[in-house]
Amino acid sequence: MRRSPSRSALVPVLLAAVAATGPLLRGQDVLLGAQRIVIADGTELDDGRVLLRQGKVAYVGAEIPAEARTRARRVDYGAATVVPGFVLATATLGQDQDLAERALPFTPDLRAAEAFDPWHEDLLALPQYGITAVGLSPASANVAGGLAALVKPGRERGALGPDLFVALSLIAPARTAERPPSSLMGVVDLLRSAFEAVRTGLATGPDAAVLREAMQTTRPVFVHADTFAELNAALDLARDFGLRLVLVGATEARKVLPRLVQQQAGLVLGSLSPEARLEQLTLPVALAEAGVAFGFGGSPARMRLSAALAVHHGLDRRTALQALTRGPADLLEQAAAIGSLRQGSAADFVVFRGDPLDLGSALVATWIDGELVHGEAPTTRGEAEPTAAAGVR
Amino acid sequence: MRIPFQRLIPLVCLLGALAGPAHCQEPTPEPTPAPVPEVTTPAPETPPEPTPRRRPRRPAVVIEAGTVHPVAGPAIADGVVVIRGERIVGIGKRGEVEVPENAVVRSFPTGHAYPGLVDAATDAFTDSALRGDAGLDAGDALADVLLRRHDREDELARAGITTAYVTLDTPALLRGQGAIVRPTGSGFVLWEGHERAGLGLRLTNGAAPGHALQRQQQFDAADALFEGLDEYRKTLTDHEEALTKYRKEFDEYLTWHRNKQPKEGDAAGAKPTTTAEPAPEPPKTDTAPRTEPGEGGRRRRGGPPRDGAAELLAALENLFAAAPQDPPKQDPKPAPADAAAPEQPADGTKKPDESKEGPKRPSYPKAPAQNPQKDVLLRVLDGELPLRVEAHRADELRAALRLQETRTIPVMVVERAHGADKVADQLALHGIPAVLTDVLPDSLPPVYEDFDPTTLPAQLQRAGVAFAIASGSGRRADVLRLMAATAIGGGLDADAALRAITLTPAEILGVAGDTGSLAVGKFGDVLVCDRPLFQSDCRVLLVLGKGRAEYEAN
Repeated sequence: MRRSPSRSALVPVLLAAVAATGPLLRGQDVLLGAQRIVIADGTELDDGRVLLRQGKVAYVGAEIPAEARTRARRVDYGAATVVPGFVLATATLGQDQDLAERALPFTPDLRAAEAFDPWHEDLLALPQYGITAVGLSPASANVAGGLAALVKPGRERGALGPDLFVALSLIAPARTAERPPSSLMGVVDLLRSAFEAVRTGLATGPDAAVLREAMQTTRPVFVHADTFAELNAALDLARDFGLRLVLVGATEARKVLPRLVQQQAGLVLGSLSPEARLEQLTLPVALAEAGVAFGFGGSPARMRLSAALAVHHGLDRRTALQALTRGPADLLEQAAAIGSLRQGSAADFVVFRGDPLDLGSALVATWIDGELVHGEAPTTRGEAEPTAAAGVR
Repeated sequence: MRIPFQRLIPLVCLLGALAGPAHCQEPTPEPTPAPVPEVTTPAPETPPEPTPRRRPRRPAVVIEAGTVHPVAGPAIADGVVVIRGERIVGIGKRGEVEVPENAVVRSFPTGHAYPGLVDAATDAFTDSALRGDAGLDAGDALADVLLRRHDREDELARAGITTAYVTLDTPALLRGQGAIVRPTGSGFVLWEGHERAGLGLRLTNGAAPGHALQRQQQFDAADALFEGLDEYRKTLTDHEEALTKYRKEFDEYLTWHRNKQPKEGDAAGAKPTTTAEPAPEPPKTDTAPRTEPGEGGRRRRGGPPRDGAAELLAALENLFAAAPQDPPKQDPKPAPADAAAPEQPADGTKKPDESKEGPKRPSYPKAPAQNPQKDVLLRVLDGELPLRVEAHRADELRAALRLQETRTIPVMVVERAHGADKVADQLALHGIPAVLTDVLPDSLPPVYEDFDPTTLPAQLQRAGVAFAIASGSGRRADVLRLMAATAIGGGLDADAALRAITLTPAEILGVAGDTGSLAVGKFGDVLVCDRPLFQSDCRVLLVLGKGRAEYEAN
């Protein structure tokens, strides 16, 4: 009589089977469901479905083929709200020392991607705040810091795609007595001279190549500027050299609002604080009313709080959510890939128990490229378990 | 004893000027000198009784709201709150609650009515100089220095806050006595009887870098504050006993001298017998030495009781005693040789010793040295004043627990308490509530990166620790409800979050009988919003404080 295999012998076999099917599971379509799914600004699904395939949004709502529906793995969050993952347009993620060449003020060709550490704890913490993509940027300690890169949290991911914007800085950290320039006028003169040399063809080399791209508007320019003088200087440079300008910080943006509208400049706001002055807390409302494109930035832990404070002081919810998702993606010129759940976008999304702009809505889960990286995944309709199958971090 | 004439005139004048009707005495007519005219002051005309002014009665106020959230009970759909005067007289479902005639009805069909919020810790109504004052001590009362207008606009009423405890976050070890205020549309009013509602103690170095030994020094310094209080209390008690004994002895002294028999042969100018009542007890006026230490934060230095009548009588007695004695009249008949011994009565009893001078005048007991700080600390030990301890880390909280245990402090509240989750069971066991002011994400300095302020309220709820969520600053008054919302996002129940900014802080402040929930008998403190309180775009429509509108949206 044949003897049946013992239980202990079956365990390694099962484990091997699970390991072998892991890639298959990861490759399997995912049918995402929730009571409310925000696809993009102005497009929402009530009790809708989104089909995810190979890390991207394949189909939305009624467009999902019936056959795909049946074959897909169902992930249904029940009464939750699903929104696109938040995009942090510019950040150094705690790597300021490695993202600024302090001995030299002008290094526009240095690449932040070459200092990217996918294991950095600040990067790994982003999903708990709902952030799924970041513009890793050179620090503001250089007048021309270099080229930013789009990165996503996750140990197996590196910099994605080509370099993003070129980072310039007019604020105090870029002006130091340790090396020139040490004043705002010195900084502005340095930049003007550099751009002028490129325009007249006198400058060559990788530095000049980056500035040429900026002047040809093939690469946006993110400029750190806070005060009225700094903002004006940045706007003057953009006007004189045809730059596609995005201002970072812009604490006194209200004072240059007409110019922002006229020159169609974008803004990445710093973190809003409850102790901030009222004019700062109502700045998003003023920008929205003026039609200025902006996104919330600053501290990753405070992005959602900034949006909630803006709503608290009169910003409408739709604009606030856009300023967390599609808005910064537009500023990075990456809206085709991130910031929404349209067909073809990356399957980056965040699940909340309620509206994400209400601080009482707990963050349930964060997915990046179709994989769960933080939180809970439901096993049956509406129920979540603390540890999920393959893909959980 | 014969009183010289020249001493009588000023005495009579003094009597006429100082003595009231109870002490008015008819002078005995002198045979020789002319009678001194009495100086009497004409009795003032009795003013006519003022007609009592009748204050116009405020009409009752009725708040109708789509949802009424009493806090102490379940939410009421389509509810009403009826307020008469300052207090709630009815609450319930519309149609089931009697509405007074001529009541002013405010209707908010889709609105939400809540109790006025209670902020358990704020620095509102203090200026920057006070907030940075490192020289405060226990004797300082913040109620004496609060400002309606200063370097910052604190609009607590606009944020829906109708009760707040004002305290300071200064580097001082003892931060003075906090005050409970009632924010109004124009500033605030002090809550009568709660002007000194807690004593602040700093048991932390905060985010400043330091090590455990440094913190231990701070703990020891805090514990040392309570050293010697028993001895100090004893000196106060001994002084009270000595005062009582003094009063008794002084009464005996006065009584003896009043009842003293005049000597045989004294002239008619002997002191007239009086029918004055015994010296009255020193009146318990504000000028009397305070029996309750710490009252008002400072004590008047001790001294003799300032009572006019007793003082006058004592002065008279001293004067008579000091008056020069007239030489005894020469007896024309020499005493018999065998009359050395005084004549004794025939019945065998002995005559009283005429040379006895009676009891000595007692000395007023010297008051002990004043120590306002110790007076306040004694109030803390007696449970009259809560001790509010700022402690951040778990070791600081344990030090607070040790302090409470070793010094038997009846009422203690911990503030900030970032590491409270690690000692939650101890806090629950000792019944020590927590006031949390750092609940928003990323609200702690980097040195506290291991603490998660957003989930702490939920952890304390699970452990059974009472806690309040407070703004901590007048600048954050507007986001008090967002802080509570953040706690919900961290796992706290919505009901518990609402309680943490209403009824629980009221209980911590000792005013839960008057505010903190919508209930009959409590103050008409009502907050009306256009949507649920914890939504980010919730807008405050109306704030009532004791039934009066303190804020109303346009």
